[in-house]
Amino acid sequence: MSILGYNGGAMVAMKGDKCVSIAADKRFGIQAQTITCDFKKVFDMGPRLYVGLPGLATDVQTVMEKLRFRKNLYELKENRTMTPEVFGAMLSSMLYEKRFGPFFVEPVIAGLHPTTHEPFICNMDLIGCINQPDDFVVGGTASAQLYGMCEALWEPNLGPEDLFETTAQALINAFDRDAISGWGATVYIIEKDKVTVRDIKTRMD
Amino acid sequence: MSLSMEGIRPHYPDYSNAPMQRHFSPYADNGGSVVAIAGDDFVVIGADTRLSAGFSIYTRDQNKLFPLSKTTVLGCAGCWCDTLTLTRILTSRMQMYQQEHNKTMSTVACAQMLSTMLYYKRFFPYYISNVLVGLDNEGKGCVYSYDPIGHCEKATYKAGGSAGALLQPLLDNQIGLKNMEIIGDSKLTIEKATNIIKDVFISAAERDIYTGDSVIINIITKEGIKDDKFELRKD
Amino acid sequence: MSLSELCGMSDFDDKINSEYRGDLNTFCGNFTNNLELGVPPFSNPAKNFASVSKDEFGREIKIQFDHGTTTLGFMYQGGVVLAVDSRATGGQFIGSQTMKKIVEINDFLLGTLAGGAADCVYWDRVLAKQCRMYELRNRERISVAAASKLMSNMVYNYKGMGLSMGMMLAGWDKRGPQLYYIDSEGTRTPGKVFSVGSGSIYAFGVLDSGYKWDLTDEEAYDLGRRSIYHATHRDAYSGGIVRVYHMKNTGWVHIDNTDCMELHYKYQDEKLQKSNEIATK
Repeated sequence: MSILGYNGGAMVAMKGDKCVSIAADKRFGIQAQTITCDFKKVFDMGPRLYVGLPGLATDVQTVMEKLRFRKNLYELKENRTMTPEVFGAMLSSMLYEKRFGPFFVEPVIAGLHPTTHEPFICNMDLIGCINQPDDFVVGGTASAQLYGMCEALWEPNLGPEDLFETTAQALINAFDRDAISGWGATVYIIEKDKVTVRDIKTRMD
Repeated sequence: MSLSMEGIRPHYPDYSNAPMQRHFSPYADNGGSVVAIAGDDFVVIGADTRLSAGFSIYTRDQNKLFPLSKTTVLGCAGCWCDTLTLTRILTSRMQMYQQEHNKTMSTVACAQMLSTMLYYKRFFPYYISNVLVGLDNEGKGCVYSYDPIGHCEKATYKAGGSAGALLQPLLDNQIGLKNMEIIGDSKLTIEKATNIIKDVFISAAERDIYTGDSVIINIITKEGIKDDKFELRKD
Repeated sequence: MSLSELCGMSDFDDKINSEYRGDLNTFCGNFTNNLELGVPPFSNPAKNFASVSKDEFGREIKIQFDHGTTTLGFMYQGGVVLAVDSRATGGQFIGSQTMKKIVEINDFLLGTLAGGAADCVYWDRVLAKQCRMYELRNRERISVAAASKLMSNMVYNYKGMGLSMGMMLAGWDKRGPQLYYIDSEGTRTPGKVFSVGSGSIYAFGVLDSGYKWDLTDEEAYDLGRRSIYHATHRDAYSGGIVRVYHMKNTGWVHIDNTDCMELHYKYQDEKLQKSNEIATK
C-alpha cells in the first residue's frame, strides 16, 4: 500500500455561486486501526482561505506549519493579504523543492479572492503539480468514489445551502465505501461575509 | 513513481549478454463497467461497449451482456479471454440442464452454479467482475454480484468493473437512499432505473478511461429481454 | 442393436462423453467431486501466483478478494452465542455492508466465516452437503466434533496453497452445546470463548471483560453485540450491521440484526446519561 494511504482520509472542495466549500473526514488511523475521530485536516490560512491536506498525518502537520510560516512572512513583508492563487503557487513550489523526497500530501485549496471575492479551488499532487478546474477537486484515499459522486451531483452556480448539501452528500457517500476514511466529517462553506462550519453525523464504522 | 537513478547508461536489449527473460502473462485487463438495478418485477442491467488494453482501444462496440435464458443475463467486465471461456462453459451447462431436466435453469440456480464454477479456478482465477441479474422464482428482480473467485452476494443494485468504485457510492445514495434524511416514497420504475443507469455511465465516462463509447442496456421483465442503447463520449 | 451400431451411434455417444464432457470437466471438475479444484499452470500458487499477475505491458493485475471481519462466539449457561459484523472489503474498497457471515449449515449447526469470503462460503457449502449425507446414512445428526473434523481435514488438503479462512463451528449435539475453531492452517480446537478476524483484538477486549458463565440470555446477546460494535468502531475492515445468533438445545435462533450506526449513537447516549448521573450525584 502507498504511504499516502497509511493514515487514510478523504477530502473534497467545490465551487459554487460566489461561494466555495471544502470538506474532509475526521479519521486519524494507522492502517486498519482507528486512533481518533477528531483529527483536523482542513486549516484556515486566512479569513477566506482554507487548505486541506490529505495524506500522511505527520506531513499534514509539518506542511501546515511551514505554510503558515511562509504565508505570515509574506504578509508581514508585503503588507497585503495573500490571494488563493499566490498561496497555491507558493505551496506548489514548496512541494517541488522536495522533488526527490516529497511530503506525502496531496493538498486541496479552497478560498475567495480577498478583494474581488472570486471563488478559487485547486488541488495538486504530492510534488506540486497544480490542477485548477471549474467545478470540483478531490483528494485522499476515497478519491475514486468522490469523483463518481461529484461528477453526478455537482452543477454550476449552486448557492451556499445547496453547495453544502451537495458537498456533504458527495463526501459521506464516498467515504462510506472506503474502509480507511470516515468517522465523522466537517464541511466549510466560505462566503464573502461569513464562513459556516458544520460537523456532520455519519456512520462510525 | 520511480526515483531510482540506476540505468543512466543507455540500455540496448539486443546487444545484451544477459539471458532474455520471457514472462507468461495469461491475464489482461480489458476494462469495462457493468451496472445493474433490480425492481419489484423487473431488472435493468447496463454495460459499456469499450474493449481496451492499456491506453489502446480494441473496439468501441463490444457487447458485454450475455443472455443465458429468457430471465437471466450475465454482465462481465475484466479479462475478455476469461469472459469468453466462462460464458461458453456457462451456456453449455445451461443447455445440458435444459436437456436433462426439460426445464430452463432458474436465475437462483444459475447464480449458485456460477459461484461454484468461479471457485473451481480458485488457484488460477478468472479475472472478471461478474454481475448476474434476472427474475427469481416469484418474478421479483434480483442482482447477484461476484468477486473473482466466486463469492456471491444478492443485492438490489450493484456497480462492477473498472468504474465500480466510482459508481457504487452513487447508487448507494440514489437507490439505496443512504444518508438521506427526507425520503420520499417514490417507487423504483423501469424508467427511473434506466435513467439512473444512463446518468451513472455518463459520470463514469468522464473519469474512467476504460469506460466509454456507448452503453447497452437490457431490461428484463416477465415479457422477456428488451434491448436499449445510448451513446457515451468517445475520447 | 443393429441400426445404431451400423450407423456408429455408440461411437458417437462415446465421442460426446469423452470430448464434450471432457472439455466441460476441465472447467467444472468440482461439480462431480466437490473437493477437487482446478490445478493452476504453476507450482505453489500461494507464492507463484504473483509471477502471472501482470499483463503483457507489465502492469499489475489486481485480483482483490473480499476480506476482513470480526466474528465472535462464546459458550455460557444458556448455550452458544455467535455475533458477527457484515462488511466485505476488496483492498480498501468496501464491497458490501450486508454480507452474511454466519452460515446456517443445518438446524443445529452454524458456521461463522472470516478471511477469504469465497473460501469460507464454498467449503461451508461442501460441509453442509457432507453433514446431510451423514444424516441420511446414519439416521442421526452429525456431532459438532465430527463436522469440525471433516472441515479441518478438507482444508488441510489445500494447506500452503493460499486458502485463507478462520471459522467457528457452533452446534448442539448429544453431548450438549459445542464450539470449535477451525482455520485454513489445519488448526481445530474446542473452546469456550473465541473471536476471529481483523477486528478480533478489539472484540476480545470487551468480551473478556464482560464474560462470565452465568450470563442471562439478554446479557449474553448484549455482550456479543457490544464486542462486535467496538471492533467495528476501531477496525477499518469491520462494520455494517451486527448479527446475533443463539444456539439452543432446540436449534439455532436468529436474535437480531442491528446497524452499527444505530448502535454507536445508542451507546453514546447511554455513556452521556451515565456521566450526567454521576455529575448530579
